[in-house]
Amino acid sequence: MPYHEFDCSKVIPERKQHAVVKGEGEDLTSCLPKGYLNTIPGSISERGCAYCGAKHVIGTPMKDVIHISHGPVGCTYDTWQTKRYISDNNNFQLKYTFATDVKEKHIVFGAESLLKQNIHEAFDAFPEIKRMTIYQTCATALIGDDINAIADEVMAERPDVDIFVCNSPGFAGPSQSGGHHKINIAWLNQKVGTVEPEITSDYVINYVGEYNIQGDQEVMQDYFKRMGIQVLSTFTGNGSYDDLRAMHRAHLNVLECARSAEYICDELRARYGIPRLDIDGFGFKALGDSLRKIGLFFGIEDRAEAIIAAETARWKPELDWYAARLKGKRVCLWPGGSKLWHWANAIQEEMGVKVVSVYTKFGHQGDMEKGIARAGVGTLAIDDPNELEGQEALLRLKPDVIFTGKRPGEVAKKMRVPYLNAHAYHNGPYKGFEGWVRFARDIYNAVYSPMHQLSGVDISKDDYATDKGFVTRRMLSDASLPEADRASPLTGYTGKFDPIEALRAKTDADYPQFARKSSPQAAE
Amino acid sequence: MAGFKKEKPTARANYPKLHASDPLTGFDAETREKVSFMENYIMKNCLWQFNSRGWDRRKQNEGILGKTTKLLLGEEVENETPLEKCYWVDAVLLSRAFRERCAWLAGMGKDEVQALMKILHARIDWLTIDGSLNEELTVQNY
Ligand code: SF4
Repeated sequence: MPYHEFDCSKVIPERKQHAVVKGEGEDLTSCLPKGYLNTIPGSISERGCAYCGAKHVIGTPMKDVIHISHGPVGCTYDTWQTKRYISDNNNFQLKYTFATDVKEKHIVFGAESLLKQNIHEAFDAFPEIKRMTIYQTCATALIGDDINAIADEVMAERPDVDIFVCNSPGFAGPSQSGGHHKINIAWLNQKVGTVEPEITSDYVINYVGEYNIQGDQEVMQDYFKRMGIQVLSTFTGNGSYDDLRAMHRAHLNVLECARSAEYICDELRARYGIPRLDIDGFGFKALGDSLRKIGLFFGIEDRAEAIIAAETARWKPELDWYAARLKGKRVCLWPGGSKLWHWANAIQEEMGVKVVSVYTKFGHQGDMEKGIARAGVGTLAIDDPNELEGQEALLRLKPDVIFTGKRPGEVAKKMRVPYLNAHAYHNGPYKGFEGWVRFARDIYNAVYSPMHQLSGVDISKDDYATDKGFVTRRMLSDASLPEADRASPLTGYTGKFDPIEALRAKTDADYPQFARKSSPQAAE
Repeated sequence: MAGFKKEKPTARANYPKLHASDPLTGFDAETREKVSFMENYIMKNCLWQFNSRGWDRRKQNEGILGKTTKLLLGEEVENETPLEKCYWVDAVLLSRAFRERCAWLAGMGKDEVQALMKILHARIDWLTIDGSLNEELTVQNY
């Protein structure tokens, strides 16, 4: 096994099994780090807790819901706002966060009455919102508060509300991934099958493992609607609570982030016979193939092809403009989980960059299998890295840019490695054909920004070069390009600052109307 | 929906091993090169081979590569259930990619294509199931 031992982790010998370098001729039977294990004592992990995984990643993107944490306010604060999963109802779920604010006295005397009071206060404060999710945290789990009992009492007192309880306290797994699992299964057990939806198309999907980061879901939903497909629910970005109770009526589960949401797809397959189709919404080829597959499943591939042709004609030249300028740039692809395989091959093939390292904070070995399979020879793959290992890798690999979360991103910035936010994006959406160009644009700006060069200059000294502050695109990225590329009249991305606004303005009249073939029952 | 039989978690987690060593070993260089090329395409572009449990991967590999073989041979593919249809969807994309990228397929006889796909299937099973280092493949539940 081609393990990689970090100098800084020699004092934690078990860490060695968590990093490998993919050598020539290596495959998945000889090259795979350990994964999804408890963080080794002494290693300061970048992981989140299982409560965070349940609430922050999966629960909170649901838009028409009061999301309340039963616990100290700190748990809530750390899972508020930072992930930009926007929604088309004025971002209710991002703007407001709720906590029961448990204190020491509640730990001694119990916090159930406090919870009940908080639930009523929240519903009273937002009378238009009739749905709630409640999240267990470490403290309230340990004192044995029965959240379900309180939720049942409130639902009996307020018949127009519905409450979902998520029992995934921080310690319920090695990382946030434990929480993904728990909330998937809890939602399925408690809520799926409790609402019967109106079926409006012959082709009905759940879009699963999609969190509408800066509008990703709305971009993809637009493609689906253009194909005449009904998106019954999205689990969970921009998703509606009651739509998600009707997931059992879809004909197909289209799964984007398998890491966080494969469990509900697998169980919907087992319990309701709904197939699971894994797709990649990132990258022209992968996205095109994904739309084709969904089209094929429903016998409407021609509709997918029309979209692919139009979008490719519009955006491919701009993607290629960036690819010419990003060729060979070294990338550390260090996301939380699924981006390591969603992006590893697509950015190399379509943007010309070279992935020199992949890592996952909370992924399982299955994620690493996908990531390593898609990465090239020489790639350093790290599971659950600590900050010192990250620094050592950056010094050794000297990447031109790093895609990661905000905590390691800040460390990278201090080491003067440009950083793009892999979780919340910089100027997303990154899904869709246009989104992929936006991602290329952000990579370009990160790699070439003169700010990074200037950040190494001590401006308190008088002897730095005052004539070198002004640089242009032609000086930065075009100087060594072939003549044909330099002569291109293009200047990169030409889309709007906010591409989502126009999508939200669309009405049914803007989408093609396809005649129904059959009644909903027959379509199944 | 029709056609789905729920299995007991314990039974499905105890799926039999099919390969004790790399099934590609021992084949001639040309065959190895062809299989590696196809394998590389699958690994870089597909996700179906990586469902989280070994028993599920076995079904996925069999379902999709089995249908891909039929498509490459020009045989009719029957999709009696939505789950079968879902395998077929991935198989259609894969067979198209192979036809496009593997010019040598056109010059091969049906038996040869079938034999090659059998080796590819064994190799993918080896990489993702029987030779896999993934310790979660035998977990009973999802
Ligand atoms: S580990 Fe426990 S206390 Fe800490 S944020 Fe998570 S739920 Fe709250």
